[in-house]
Amino acid sequence: MPSTNKLIMFLATLCTAISASAQDLAADYFLDRPDSTKYAVIMIGPAVGETNEERFRQWGLSLHDILARDYGYSSDTITLLYNDGEAAFNGAERIDGVTDREGIEQALTALHDRVDTGDQITIYLIGHGSGAEQEAKFNIVGPDITGIEFADMLDRFDRQDIVIVNTTSASYGFSASLSSEGRVVISSTRSPSERYDPVFSGYFIEALDGRNGDRDKNNRVSILEAFEYAKANVEQWYSEQGRLASEHAGLDDNGDSMFSLNPGMNEADGLLAEIAYIDTLVDDTAGLSAEALASKARMQELERSVFILRGRKAEYLEADYWREMEALLVELARATARFNAQTATTADGVTQ
Amino acid sequence: MRNSLRSIIACILVLAPLSAAYAQDDQDQAGDSALFRAEQLLLSGSYAAAAEMFQMTDGLDRTDGLIGASRAYFMTGNYQQAESVVADAIEGDDYARFPLLSTQLAEIKRAVGESAEALAIFEAVMEGLPEPPVRTLVQYGSLLQFKGQRSDAYRILDMAVQRYNSGLVFTSEDVAMVALASWLMGNFYDANSLFDEATRANPNNLEAHALWADLFLEKYNASDAERGYQEALEINNRYVPALVGIARVVGDERSLQRALAINPNSIPALETYAQLLMMNGREDEAMAYFTQVLALNPESLKTLSILAAQAALNERMDEYVNYYEQVQAFSPGNAQFLGDIADAFGNNYRFTEAVAYARAALEADPEYWQGYTLLGNNLIRLGEEEEGKANLEIGFENDPFNVLTSNMLKVFDTLETYATLESEHFKVHMSERDADILWPYLEPLLEEAWDTLTEKYAYEPEGPILIEVFENSEDFAVRSVGLPDIGPLVGICFGKVVTLISPDTLTANWQEIVWHEFMHVITLQMTDNRMPRWLSEGISVWEEREGRPYWGRDQGLDLVRAADQGKLLPVADLNSGFSGARNNADLSFAYFQSYLVVDYIASQYGFDKLVELVKQYAFIKEDSERFSEVFAMDIGEFDAGFRGWIDQRVEEINVYVHTEDVPDEGEGHGHGIRENSSAILAELYNNASLKQHMRSRIEENPRDFQAYLQLGIVLFKEEAFEEARSYLETAHEMLPSYTGYPSPALVLSQIYEREGNREMQLQWLEQLLENLQHDYGSAMILAEAALEAGNMERVSYYIDRALQVDPYRQDVHLLKARYADTINDTQLAVTEYEVLMKLEITDPVEARTNLAEAYLNNGQLSEAKQNVLYALEQAPSFQRAQQLLLDAVDKEAAQ
Repeated sequence: MPSTNKLIMFLATLCTAISASAQDLAADYFLDRPDSTKYAVIMIGPAVGETNEERFRQWGLSLHDILARDYGYSSDTITLLYNDGEAAFNGAERIDGVTDREGIEQALTALHDRVDTGDQITIYLIGHGSGAEQEAKFNIVGPDITGIEFADMLDRFDRQDIVIVNTTSASYGFSASLSSEGRVVISSTRSPSERYDPVFSGYFIEALDGRNGDRDKNNRVSILEAFEYAKANVEQWYSEQGRLASEHAGLDDNGDSMFSLNPGMNEADGLLAEIAYIDTLVDDTAGLSAEALASKARMQELERSVFILRGRKAEYLEADYWREMEALLVELARATARFNAQTATTADGVTQ
Repeated sequence: MRNSLRSIIACILVLAPLSAAYAQDDQDQAGDSALFRAEQLLLSGSYAAAAEMFQMTDGLDRTDGLIGASRAYFMTGNYQQAESVVADAIEGDDYARFPLLSTQLAEIKRAVGESAEALAIFEAVMEGLPEPPVRTLVQYGSLLQFKGQRSDAYRILDMAVQRYNSGLVFTSEDVAMVALASWLMGNFYDANSLFDEATRANPNNLEAHALWADLFLEKYNASDAERGYQEALEINNRYVPALVGIARVVGDERSLQRALAINPNSIPALETYAQLLMMNGREDEAMAYFTQVLALNPESLKTLSILAAQAALNERMDEYVNYYEQVQAFSPGNAQFLGDIADAFGNNYRFTEAVAYARAALEADPEYWQGYTLLGNNLIRLGEEEEGKANLEIGFENDPFNVLTSNMLKVFDTLETYATLESEHFKVHMSERDADILWPYLEPLLEEAWDTLTEKYAYEPEGPILIEVFENSEDFAVRSVGLPDIGPLVGICFGKVVTLISPDTLTANWQEIVWHEFMHVITLQMTDNRMPRWLSEGISVWEEREGRPYWGRDQGLDLVRAADQGKLLPVADLNSGFSGARNNADLSFAYFQSYLVVDYIASQYGFDKLVELVKQYAFIKEDSERFSEVFAMDIGEFDAGFRGWIDQRVEEINVYVHTEDVPDEGEGHGHGIRENSSAILAELYNNASLKQHMRSRIEENPRDFQAYLQLGIVLFKEEAFEEARSYLETAHEMLPSYTGYPSPALVLSQIYEREGNREMQLQWLEQLLENLQHDYGSAMILAEAALEAGNMERVSYYIDRALQVDPYRQDVHLLKARYADTINDTQLAVTEYEVLMKLEITDPVEARTNLAEAYLNNGQLSEAKQNVLYALEQAPSFQRAQQLLLDAVDKEAAQ
């Protein structure tokens, strides 16, 4: 897939659908450059009961492996903090530290020493939470940490893009403290009253696994897509269990500490999450022939036209809209076919 | 029950303790006077002592004392004494001079069926007194209404209300009377507020508490009614009206027994007891109670309406006319009497007649608001939705307190969001989701049921049959019975209308339910809805097994248990198995035994005899006569034959049922999983002691099926597979048709799965599904395996089995779509991808693209193109969709 499509799409969407301030905001963050690096910090807190312990561990390790396998991360770019660090299970070698204050501080300090401007850091919190509002805490080994304290720790990353996926119980108050301009924060619960252990985390990881969450088929998963995938599956899970949902995930990416339950193009939140990808953009234009580059440029132009038209859908009569959309999409399909033919690899691996 | 309330108001009023109402008001001044002490005794339920003490009053307290004594006597059923104690004090029958004593006397006379005398007393008071007491006005107004003099009644009742509006009503008792006046005038909000005021003014006003609760009960507001009665009983746990009220709300027989122990002549208690007996099929005993009621009060409207309804239901029309004329004589044009008849017909599924009686009630009194609810409700059950709704709206507009009416109307709001679909013989209301997902499978099933069963019974019901599929079980319950709690039922047939809970809300085999309910359509319509429940259910369950060999109920263990415990009911009493069921297990067995009787008839006498028996119910006659005509023997002889057949069946089953094991408990009213409660309970025990116990049980009785099964389960959990297999195979051989969960076949399949022996695992799953209709997971495993093996016939079969349990899961539709692709059935592929599109929540682009491809393969170019455009609109760079678009456009151009 052309690597710059998503950015173009986003910019095109901006032209028509969002406010100037949101546009400015989005223009400054999550620029998705091929030369940036993406880091992940997975923090698994201590668990109550063996079942929870097993579940949190399995989530954390799966996440680690999926990021490494499918999204270009490595042990250098993933930091895994696990409970008290004592681990006698397969995969324990992935553990980098302890989920206590000191461990977290050390990990973030080490990370700060390595990151460059424009890098992206995604922090996954797995475990239990407790309390409400400013006293809401992520349960770690030793004294628990409040959202405000954790936010202070993150302040040092003022030149990086930050995503926090807080999947703990009672995560709302903690997550709200982390809200900040240019930051994407996901909370698996929407209010302090949602105190039971959520199932959200499992589905969020499932969204990343095999790129299940890739809704727009560009072979990449954005934070928004993963969120939507997990949210839909959580709802279905409770429905199948015949239970009232005790968790409702929300997303905030405009820094107002107000979490949208259905973030998206026409909502207050979702614009940054849509361009915040799990993986790093790959520049795949190297080695292309002039014809292929021209085709690619045409494809990008056509995609941009599709997004612009889609953004102006309300201005069209239904039939006119689809007529124009069909024309664009047929042309795009033909351009793609041409590009594929131009870049088809021969049996001996030479690009034509 | 609801229509009985107004008819007993008179009784309740007489029973009400005036002195209780006065107790608080007078307490401060009275000190420990005889009146005060008597009132305390009355309030505490010491009626005999209270009567004695009241009679010790003198001076200014004398009138109150005599009224109190009369009420105390009344409370214990000593109506004669209650009457004489006040009558003797009215010198020269000068009623106007003694208005309160006269009012009490008139109330008693009304309560014992002397309404004409009561009316004369009230008239004398009214003529001789310019400002009669509030109680006199209200009781007089109430009686006038009873006597059919509605405009006079309204005028008198309004006088009481106006007196309240003028600020001249002070005591709690009088406020309660004004509340009653408002109620009788149809001003239910006012009545509610005034009862509130009366009970606040004097929390010990038992009469107000009970009347207020009666109002709630009339409006089907059971929880508030119960609360009101309980509040009265907390003050006086011997207060008969509240004891009877509680029995009416919760069907508590003990409350009635207690009420009758206090007052053996309590007319409401006797009537309620008789109704309970009738519901349990004990009609002879019920009749004895009704006779007793009429001896006490020959003008008891409730009893007369019940007896008249019984006569009309059994087409003894001379008898009905006789009752009708009796009522006409003392209460001409009584709409409630006709409403009660309508209600009785409706409760007996005779909706056409119910509608006719409800119309007659409304003709008698167009302001009988409950009549509109009755009419609307019964019209809906006949499928006349529009007229039904219009009548409910009239009822609601004038009586918004009526919970039944408002509930029914709320369901119409739900139905407005539903889709209406039609097939050749059916009209179906269902949610949009069900219309998308369920309808493709429901439609062919309905028509198959129609074709199969109409041909088999040589009877074509009047159609179209209206099927309503509710996603919300409360809507289902309200639509079915008017109230939001219907217990475990999952489908109800009214003859031309069937209500169902959506399979999306169930864990059961929905196809079996549909088949079962449609069978009711035939038997009910064949007999003009006169089928007894046992036979109707018995045939419907029997036809389940005829419909599909794996449908139906195998309750061998329950049968052996019932035979051991002597719990099999005589055929003549089978209906009581339903009406008297104390729990789900009882109800489940009532279905099963009814099925057994039908199976017995079909196997021993032939199917034609079964149909003959059904046809017998189209006519009014005794069961003994029916059985005699069809089987040439009396019902007792038939029953003996059935018992012999059952004994033989039990012998053939040949398993031992240990007394410590409990019956399996099922979901979905017999159409869902039946959990093996014994095995589940056994999990609480320590494995070693459980094994030891089960081994000793087997030693004691080598045919102890449950012991083998439980031992097998424990050994399986301990991974002693070889030994577990041996016990489980023995259990399976013993009772191969056992369908509880877990069953020997299921655990055996799990053993083989753990051992990696897929062939044997599948073999046992196949065994399992031969008798089990509601196992989704096993059907899916077998379908996948059949697809791998290329056995398309079995793939189709097992996919269908899975869909019968849960048509809302993506995996079964994905599998069916794969199957369709494999056999090149492009139309089927389209159906499945259409369903998948509706079910998809996480990857709509992929689902759209799949659907577009299915359309393209099926030659539906325009649908293909539109769907792929939808997909590409969201994901323009999705290359598979792009290719499909180009294919669609090229094919379009080629056309």
